[in-house]
Amino acid sequence: MPAQFDRDGPPAPRGGLILLQVLILGLFCLFIARFWYLQILRGDNFAELARSNQIRETSISSPRGVIWDRNGVLLAVNEPSFALGLVREDCPDITATLNQIAEWTGLETSTLQEIYLRGKKRVKTFEPLILINDLSFETLAKIESNLVFWPGLEIIVRHKRFYPRGELLAHVLGYVAEANEEELEKDPTLALGDAVGKQGMEYTLENRLRGQKGRKQIQVDALGRELEEQVIIEPKSGNNVTLSIDLGLQEHCAQQLEGQAGAVVVLDPDTGQVLAMVSQPSYDNNLFVLGLSANKWQELRDDPMHPIQNRVSQSVYPPGSVFKLLMTTVGFATGMLKYTDSTVCGGSYKMGNHEFHCWKKGGHGHIDLRGALVNSCDVFFYQLGERLGVDRINAVATQCGLGVATGVDLPHERPGIVPSTAWKKKRYGVAWTRGETLNTAIGQGYVQLSPLQVARFVGSLVNGGRILKPLLDANDPALEQGRLPINDKDREFIVSAMVATVDAGTAHKIWRPDARIGGKTGTAQVVKLINADERKKTVDMPYKYRDHSWLASFGQKDGKSYVVVCMVEHGGHAGEAAAPVVKAVYDYLFGPVRGQAAAKPQPSGDTAAPAASD
Amino acid sequence: MTPIDRHLIFSLNWQLLLLVAALFTVGVFNLYSASGVRVEEGVALSPYYQKQVIWGLAGLFCMVVVMLPDYRYLKSLAWPLMCLTLILLALVPVMGRSVYGAKRWLDLGAMNFQPSELAKISVLLLASRMLANDSCKLGWLGLFSVLAACMLPAAMIVVQPDLGSGLNILLLLGGLILYRGLTGGVFKTLILAVPAVMPLAWRFLKPYQKQRILTFLNPENDPLGSGYHIIQSQIAVGSGKVWGKGFLEGSQSQLRFLPEKHTDFAVAVFSEEWGFIGVVVLLSLFAFFLLRIYVSARDAKDRFGSFLCAGVFFYFFWQITINIGMVIGLMPVVGIPLPFISYGGSATIVNFCLIGLVQSVSMRRYVFKKS
Repeated sequence: MPAQFDRDGPPAPRGGLILLQVLILGLFCLFIARFWYLQILRGDNFAELARSNQIRETSISSPRGVIWDRNGVLLAVNEPSFALGLVREDCPDITATLNQIAEWTGLETSTLQEIYLRGKKRVKTFEPLILINDLSFETLAKIESNLVFWPGLEIIVRHKRFYPRGELLAHVLGYVAEANEEELEKDPTLALGDAVGKQGMEYTLENRLRGQKGRKQIQVDALGRELEEQVIIEPKSGNNVTLSIDLGLQEHCAQQLEGQAGAVVVLDPDTGQVLAMVSQPSYDNNLFVLGLSANKWQELRDDPMHPIQNRVSQSVYPPGSVFKLLMTTVGFATGMLKYTDSTVCGGSYKMGNHEFHCWKKGGHGHIDLRGALVNSCDVFFYQLGERLGVDRINAVATQCGLGVATGVDLPHERPGIVPSTAWKKKRYGVAWTRGETLNTAIGQGYVQLSPLQVARFVGSLVNGGRILKPLLDANDPALEQGRLPINDKDREFIVSAMVATVDAGTAHKIWRPDARIGGKTGTAQVVKLINADERKKTVDMPYKYRDHSWLASFGQKDGKSYVVVCMVEHGGHAGEAAAPVVKAVYDYLFGPVRGQAAAKPQPSGDTAAPAASD
Repeated sequence: MTPIDRHLIFSLNWQLLLLVAALFTVGVFNLYSASGVRVEEGVALSPYYQKQVIWGLAGLFCMVVVMLPDYRYLKSLAWPLMCLTLILLALVPVMGRSVYGAKRWLDLGAMNFQPSELAKISVLLLASRMLANDSCKLGWLGLFSVLAACMLPAAMIVVQPDLGSGLNILLLLGGLILYRGLTGGVFKTLILAVPAVMPLAWRFLKPYQKQRILTFLNPENDPLGSGYHIIQSQIAVGSGKVWGKGFLEGSQSQLRFLPEKHTDFAVAVFSEEWGFIGVVVLLSLFAFFLLRIYVSARDAKDRFGSFLCAGVFFYFFWQITINIGMVIGLMPVVGIPLPFISYGGSATIVNFCLIGLVQSVSMRRYVFKKS
């Protein structure tokens, strides 16, 4: 029988019993003290923490202002976009979930893994981590019907900027894209994933277009599940903007440049408003909105035709003979040129032992100022340039806003160059040479202007001498940036010479009987030609060595006035590429010419040959 | 088998029984609140408290079964039970079910069985038997023989990994050894050896276990990760203030900020809803509960009985210390439930069995030696 009591010695060890008593007492006192500390001494503190635990404040996104053209056509709108998000805390098996998403979307699992790992660092476990942006409706339907089986997955509706006309206005509107680290740091109101303007008007007008976020308080449980919500601050949507752009005109201009590289800008000279601003080739700005892949970005950036560049304001070119309008202005402004000044053009101008050629091989013969402008005689302007000197040219050009940024509301504008002796010294460290003055005089060499500057200058010639800031917002008041430094009579002389150039000179191609049109052509040499004899016909030259073709013009009919400037890269001589574009623009602005058979004044014999119309 | 006579019924430790009933009732009510979750409309209940009542009734039955036979028979069962435990523990890595990356369960068809629960009882029996055989203080030889017999199951449980249960067994064993008392030389040597062994033990811990200890030392390091439990639990307790937020009104638990609120952090739910007053009542219940077990150990008729009661005392004492200590931020987060308050089927059964053991000892305190 094993059931016996041990009889040797006392049953319970004395020390052990004391130990048990001490332990009970110690535990009770320690815990009471700690609960006293937590619940009574710091109770209010913890109660406050518990209250703020349940209330989560979040912001309410506000829609960005839309953009219209001057006639109220929508150019930039907000569309709902569906994204797939993953809340890590609710997802029991992330690998399986990612695999399933790969199956739904056809994306590589490794790609999803990569996105997931990147997002993991920034997104809290109870917030959705965006895996895929902008789901197609087909994928959305597939995922939505299976969503209940995959805890942690969420479809998130966001606003997405959409540009219905894409390429047509990419350079004017620019685009929005997700704010980067730098922008997030600078602006505390921005949150990860918010879109900000990166280019064009979207960038410049960011403050007006972006709305003010609202705030709401949500009672949540620990899983972030929202139980009740209350709006504290209503969101304010951004301001809408009406552009001065006329969509129809813009489209028409773009069609004319289709397939070529170049720029067209149409201004209202009396207000400075830009009615059309076309840069070709273009790109689809919608691509940037939801993030451009590295490949696509590289492809766009390295495209030899530079589709991203806005050729109207961000590109500068030698203006060629268009610059002669400025040379005449400089002559009048300095009092060193009279209407009656004349010269004999023998086809070239000798300086030292170097000959500077006129574009017309045989020369223009005896020619006065008006004739030199109408027929674009180089020799006349070589001599004028010699008399004036480059520093006077530079000073007046600056007053006229050439070689100076226009201040248009677009980022990254280039100011271009009208050289001076000081400029060359600073830039190249060597002295100015007289020959360079001659090149400057015909708009070659160092001179580089943007089409927008030329348009502003031509506008000031026809609007009474006011240099106006080119405006893209239809509601901006006209802003006078300066005045031409010549009197009205001299200015009218230049304008009438431009009209004569269209009536019977190098720009005759854009003539029409029912409007007053004035113009000046220009050819910007891409490669320096030492000898005019080497000048080949455009078609015989490789594309990248062909000249840039310019035409700066204005047109007036029935009280309406427009400035149209066109520049076609590598378009050959002025009349070849730019003139048909400008003519088509006036056809749009003034309507087709009624009775095409209307009598035309005979162009002078000098300009009959289209290949040599500069 | 000793027949059940009326003396035994009269000698029952009724106070202990009443205290257990009170604690269990508090536990069920608290579970009712802890299993409530505020959803969009109203409160949703998960049926933990109902299951707990069923487990409690089953436990009560087990308790009666355990207290009826004379506890002295268990002495001869100690070794065979330990062998069975070791076999089952060895089977776990081979054919056990894996849950959350740990293999702790054996699938017995109808139900899952944790051999670690059995190990607690077999260590209690074996250690009591070995320590009760003599009344003088424990020397080196005695210490090592007890450790040799009981350390193996503890080690097997720790590597499962189930740090909580392993720790529970080791602490029970340690408590029993201290209850017996060590000779001066052994005691002093051990005191000096502890600092030397600590870094060694640290190296054997798994990374997540180290993380828990580090987080305990500085919870603000990782407020949304592993420090979350510690912070939220203290917020829950503290925000109860003096009078508590009221039954079913604890925002921390109803809104799910409290993790594991029906198991390890159940007492945080209680503290939030009943405040300091409720806590004092609950702690008093636990103190009297331990005191009743102490009385049973003191009044036991023989040393084996006394040691059994002391073992049960330590089993509960450490669980209460670690669990509440964890909730109020005095201990690192270890998955040890609070007896009678936390939800848990097998833990409830084991708890009631152990109470049955104490009752068995206690009600036989007046029985004189037969034969």
